Amino acid sequence: MEARITLQVDGERRALTLDTRTTLLDALRDHLGVMSPKKGCDHGQCGACTVLLDGRRATTCLSFAVAHDGAAITTAQGLAANGALHPVQRAFIAHDGLQCGYCTPGQICSAVGMIEEARAGHPSHVTKDLTGPVALTDDEIRERMSGNLCRCGAYVNILAAIREAAS
Amino acid sequence: MYLRPSMVEEALAALAEGGPTTILAGGTDYYPARVGRPLTEDILDITAIAALRGIGERDGALRIGAAVRWTEIAEAALPPSLRCLQLAAREIGGRQIQNAGTLAGNLCNASPAADGVPCLLALDAEVELASARGTRRLPVAEFVRGNRRTARRPDELMTAIIVPRCAEAARSTFLKLGARRYLVISIVMVAALIEAAPDGAIAAARIAVGACSAAAQRLPLLEAVLRGRRLASGIGCLVAAEHLGELAPIDDVRGTAAYRREAARRLVARALDELAAEAAA
Repeated sequence: MEARITLQVDGERRALTLDTRTTLLDALRDHLGVMSPKKGCDHGQCGACTVLLDGRRATTCLSFAVAHDGAAITTAQGLAANGALHPVQRAFIAHDGLQCGYCTPGQICSAVGMIEEARAGHPSHVTKDLTGPVALTDDEIRERMSGNLCRCGAYVNILAAIREAAS
Repeated sequence: MYLRPSMVEEALAALAEGGPTTILAGGTDYYPARVGRPLTEDILDITAIAALRGIGERDGALRIGAAVRWTEIAEAALPPSLRCLQLAAREIGGRQIQNAGTLAGNLCNASPAADGVPCLLALDAEVELASARGTRRLPVAEFVRGNRRTARRPDELMTAIIVPRCAEAARSTFLKLGARRYLVISIVMVAALIEAAPDGAIAAARIAVGACSAAAQRLPLLEAVLRGRRLASGIGCLVAAEHLGELAPIDDVRGTAAYRREAARRLVARALDELAAEAAA
């Protein structure tokens, strides 16, 4: 069965016709040529396919595109508005927050979403005081980034990059 | 077939006709079970149904819509008795999973390691099931029948989870053990709710353990021992192996039955000690 949907991808309205069984990740990569979300594990464990979906972090391999008709999606490539890198992207470069780079677009989208969540006061599992503002300590950053794996193990530098970008 | 109705009635009509066999919300259990296999089932996607969204009060009870995601539960302003559920919500997968997965899906998927089930057992929650024939309510303990088995009939849709109002003094917590800290299937998890009088005497205790039997279980023997005791430092020492008689853990790749039984005893004790420390603070 085919469906016609539109997605707002990195600020651009894109119309597409696809099999209803197409995941959002495959729609972005194979139908729209947006290659920054990566297919790592393809079942929601690694976070390499993370984008911001209506402002929230989402693993695009875990959902059908047809379930997000009309949604606004920001990928890592869309974070660099007019060619100027996002502060989180600059921090990843400054701190060498990557080795092979495959998980990096997902890490960066996740970090951008996570910093916003903390600013909005959303608690995590390690937040002790649920009433005050969230201080992004190293423990908070690690906890909140736990949905993004880096098999090269660049975590130390990823943490440093996010710490700087969040401050 | 992929149906994405905006009204409950449309969904129920499709189910009554014997249409879609798979009901989909967050999809966090759906896709991992199908990696590398062709997707052939007809799907009923319930995420566009506004009536299934939101957390609200109705008839003195808290009503959690079937499309409510873990993140919404974690971020909602809820009474302290629901802390166990909010703790579970913040510890399920990573944030991306919490943003997608739903509590109702966790129940309907009925994994023995479903983190939501012990919490809802400790909260004495019920589920609301609707079909074209009408609506019924069932206690969670009767809804989850075993490993991947529920009391949901093929034409029924879970529309809400209903949590009755607890006593003002009720406090709860949730602890889980995995092979590592993140993104793993639980080996044991415990939800504990205690209602204590101002002098510390325990008026009600509801303790549930997950991943140690085909479906999470309450511990009635332990609950009976706790009633009337004082919620104070050292209460965890009361938890003995014989109180875990309801559990029937299995040996698997994540741990042996004996390990699970001992881990469950310690986790229950720790949960009680935490609630005692909180009451003393």
